Amino acid sequence: MVIIKVENVTKAFGSNIAVNDVSFEVEKGRIFGLLGPNGAGKTTTIRMINNILAPDSGQITINGHIASPLTQKMIGYMPEERGLYKKMKVGEQLLYLTQLKGMKTSEAKKAIDFWLERFEASDWKKKELGELSKGMSQKIQFIATIAHNPDIYIFDEPFSGLDPINSETLKEVIIELKNQGKTILFSTHRMEQVEQMCDDICLFNRGKAVLQGSLREVKASFGENTINLEFEGDGSFLDKLTDVRINNRSTNFAEIRVLNGQSMQDILKLAMEHAEIHKFERVQPSLNEIFISTVGEDNIKNEEA
Amino acid sequence: MDLNKILLVLKREYLTRVRTKAFILSTLLTPLVFIAFLAIVVFVTISDNEVKKTVGVIDETGVLFERLIEIDSLRYQDVSYLSIDTVRANVLAGEIDGYVILSNSFIDSSESPTLVYGGSGGLSFIDSIQDNLREVVREERLSRSQVSPEVREIFESRPRLKSVKLTEEGEEEDNAVFGAAFGFILGLLIFIGVFGYGALLMRGVIEEKTNRIVEVIASSIKPIELMLGKLFGILALAVTQFGVWIASYIGLSILAAPVAAMIVEAQMRNLPEEARSAAASEAFDPSALEQFIVEPSIFLYFFLFFFIGFLIYAGIFAAIGSAVDSEQDTQQFMLPVMAPIMIGYFLNLRVMENPDSTISTIASLFPLTAPINMISRIAATEVPFWQIGLSLLLMIGTFAGLMWLAAKIYRVGILMYGKKPSYKELAKWIKQG
Repeated sequence: MVIIKVENVTKAFGSNIAVNDVSFEVEKGRIFGLLGPNGAGKTTTIRMINNILAPDSGQITINGHIASPLTQKMIGYMPEERGLYKKMKVGEQLLYLTQLKGMKTSEAKKAIDFWLERFEASDWKKKELGELSKGMSQKIQFIATIAHNPDIYIFDEPFSGLDPINSETLKEVIIELKNQGKTILFSTHRMEQVEQMCDDICLFNRGKAVLQGSLREVKASFGENTINLEFEGDGSFLDKLTDVRINNRSTNFAEIRVLNGQSMQDILKLAMEHAEIHKFERVQPSLNEIFISTVGEDNIKNEEA
Repeated sequence: MDLNKILLVLKREYLTRVRTKAFILSTLLTPLVFIAFLAIVVFVTISDNEVKKTVGVIDETGVLFERLIEIDSLRYQDVSYLSIDTVRANVLAGEIDGYVILSNSFIDSSESPTLVYGGSGGLSFIDSIQDNLREVVREERLSRSQVSPEVREIFESRPRLKSVKLTEEGEEEDNAVFGAAFGFILGLLIFIGVFGYGALLMRGVIEEKTNRIVEVIASSIKPIELMLGKLFGILALAVTQFGVWIASYIGLSILAAPVAAMIVEAQMRNLPEEARSAAASEAFDPSALEQFIVEPSIFLYFFLFFFIGFLIYAGIFAAIGSAVDSEQDTQQFMLPVMAPIMIGYFLNLRVMENPDSTISTIASLFPLTAPINMISRIAATEVPFWQIGLSLLLMIGTFAGLMWLAAKIYRVGILMYGKKPSYKELAKWIKQG
């Protein structure tokens, strides 16, 4: 079942077209990753889904309703730039934000207590936010996002600026919510998290959705055209290779994307001549590689045009 | 628009601020300062005669000292029997504060006697001795000329000017000076309220923006709901503060006269019998405090004009706050807000001096200055009802127009970070919305 439907949406700020005729669908109960470089239009799209901005043309529907104050209640949103009232007590602040999402006071109090307990933060309820450490206020921010128990959770760059512990906690919470049948949409440019968590992805570049589908299908469509090479010895031979792109290069490892039908056997031969090979593996490209090649090619095309 | 959400925002704005120390102190201390001020005024007036200075009199006329004793038995001492050197020594030793030699030529030819005093003189001390001497000399001359009691009465009578105001309801006691001053203060209060609370609102908007919480809120409610909630929350805060001040003013103005009367009476009892009548004639008249009691309807007008006046300006303050990232950046936008409100403030002086002049009438009708100037006029003079009505209508229209513009800027502004916008960009935002 489609829970978020974005149809031919365009949004411009003056002469700058931030989102250009974008369409995608998010299935209920899945984790959807919105990828793309900075300035690709992810945040603008997310703001339109949240009914903070209105599209110039096209339509966004949430659970069958056009984005409106009604659909805002169905969504929990954590923006990229996070923030809360510094001089307000944690408990009052959470109650206020949860009530704004339309939850009744008594229910809201229960939900807040539950989540404060879950994050081991009950002691902070009477404290002003300004007294808390950065890590602590990040937890409060999660609670503010999820306490009203919506069906859809939207996180804009949720892992940026998080310490490793909170990063892990957030991952757990996202998986937990998914297991409860909730839908999660998040934007990021950290590909390892997408590979670990996302069911579906949509890749943005320059205001357009350039690639989308389930993570598995997207990767399969690129074919097994990548080599994971582990070696020992002088790695300078890698520089002599043509028609390849090398990612994740280190002193004894390289991820080599083979382009234009370059023979993998030739690469292996060259490698064997220069270094001791520990591992030579033919794999699907990493999401990072997909990201770079898609965005790169798209940008080259745009410049030519 | 969702009224419940506006109320939620309003409640937060109000409750988080009404509990702050700064608000509680400024609300409660201001009436205390006012009470202290009143008390000092009353105290100073009452205790003016308390420090008794004594003046030695060397009376060569043989009649004037008797008359001086009649006026003030405590102040004047007969030192005729002492030598002049002894008297001078006494002055220097501080036993008496000064001496005066009254020769016959003082009565006959108006030659001025000289008061010789040591230590501090003080203007009121010298003045009152001069008054006393004038009086006794005049009486002595009158009695020497054997004028009739009728003529004497003429000299003793002191006609005063009493003013009453004629209204539809008939004659009533009125104090034009007080009314004008009171109106000026009410106008000043509206000026301070609009400006101070407008700036508070603006800082609140900037705070939400720099805290980045505004995007979370915008994902729950409409910007206009947020803006209205904040605006009315601050307005409620201002009304609370002014309410406390005005309530304490009303209480004080009603209590001031009876309390002062009690104090004066208690003081009188401490004075010796013969000095009472003299003191009573000079002393401060407690019933003068009754003039501080004003008609309650003036406060209703005050709140009405503050309410709408605040709403006119608050929208602009909120829009400015939304357009910038920090308080320093607000300056270039403050001029258009400051200019009319400052003009209103300066015109208020003219209104106080002459509440019925053409310029006062125009200032009280022009919607940007009306909140300040109309209330001053209402307190100072009888403003025709159609003028009050027209002024209110114009203000409400201005409020609606400015709020419409402000809401459009606010909507776009709260999500814009980085470069400080120019007026041209603000115009673009308005078109966008």
